[in-house]
Amino acid sequence: MSFLASIENTALATWIRESSSLWGYPAILFMHTVGLGFLVGLNAAIDFRLLGFARRVPLAPMESFYRLMWAGFWVNAASGTLLLMADATTKLTNRVFYVKMVFVFLAVVNMVVIRRRVFRDPAIDTAPVGRLGRMLAVSSLLLWMAAITAGRLMAYFGPVSGAPGLQNRIP
Amino acid sequence: MIQSFSVWLHSTKLSWAVAGGIPWLWPLCETLHFIGLALLVGIVGVLDLRMLGMAKGLPLAPLQRLMPFAILGFTINLITGCLFFTGDPFQYIHNVAFAFKLLFIGLAGANVMLFYLTGLYRRVDGVGAGGDVPAAAKVVAAVSLFLWIGVMFWGRMLPFIGNAF
Repeated sequence: MSFLASIENTALATWIRESSSLWGYPAILFMHTVGLGFLVGLNAAIDFRLLGFARRVPLAPMESFYRLMWAGFWVNAASGTLLLMADATTKLTNRVFYVKMVFVFLAVVNMVVIRRRVFRDPAIDTAPVGRLGRMLAVSSLLLWMAAITAGRLMAYFGPVSGAPGLQNRIP
Repeated sequence: MIQSFSVWLHSTKLSWAVAGGIPWLWPLCETLHFIGLALLVGIVGVLDLRMLGMAKGLPLAPLQRLMPFAILGFTINLITGCLFFTGDPFQYIHNVAFAFKLLFIGLAGANVMLFYLTGLYRRVDGVGAGGDVPAAAKVVAAVSLFLWIGVMFWGRMLPFIGNAF
């Protein structure tokens, strides 16, 4: 049996995929959506502020969003791993999955760089946001949109996986 | 009436296009629906969490200037959502999860109306950095968080509790 099939055939992966319980695949998918909403949404709020919207909002207190953004990230890392196990032979052989991982990795690096270069800048909130901060905001928005796009397209390209009975696919 | 409306809707050219006539249209709408979701939940979430006491250094008045992005997210999702419905109305009209999703969106809308029409919005607008919003506003914020997370729940349950993809 191949390595991927052996992951997919573990008791846990089988239960996630085949159990009729809402606590299996549906609940995990829901957690993945909530994590996405907070991780990407809070990032976007910081990005818009860096780009000059709501300019009278002080930036420094926004650093506390990072706790929630990391919580969203880890919820999605965990739920994503479980979803991946359930469909290992199809998702791990889907090129779109690796494209998604590259964009998520770059977006998270971008998020860390914003913290180090913008939030740790002693001149934060005394000087206008610099060129670097604005560029990081643009790349953050683009990288997260790309990650979401790749994530969604995993359901339509490559080997069949995802929700049971999913009918709408590009052949 | 819903049935005959759905039959008519399903016979339109737009329905054909969304349901696979134009193969990339449904995946594109799904992608936009999730980008809209992140915008809406993230921006509304920031406001709700601030009202509940997170990141208290943020003054409310300028923070509320981010609301247009949440409205943008909602609009994207309203349009793409209507397109999904047009593409295959029958998988939604008899779907319990869809009914609950609409109900929760309606309640979230009523909650927002309450916030603006009762003048709570103006009282919150006057809360500066470090300040606390009135208790009534905290209730509105908590209800808002619950309802929008609920909307995501019912949306995700469309294929599982109901039968839509």
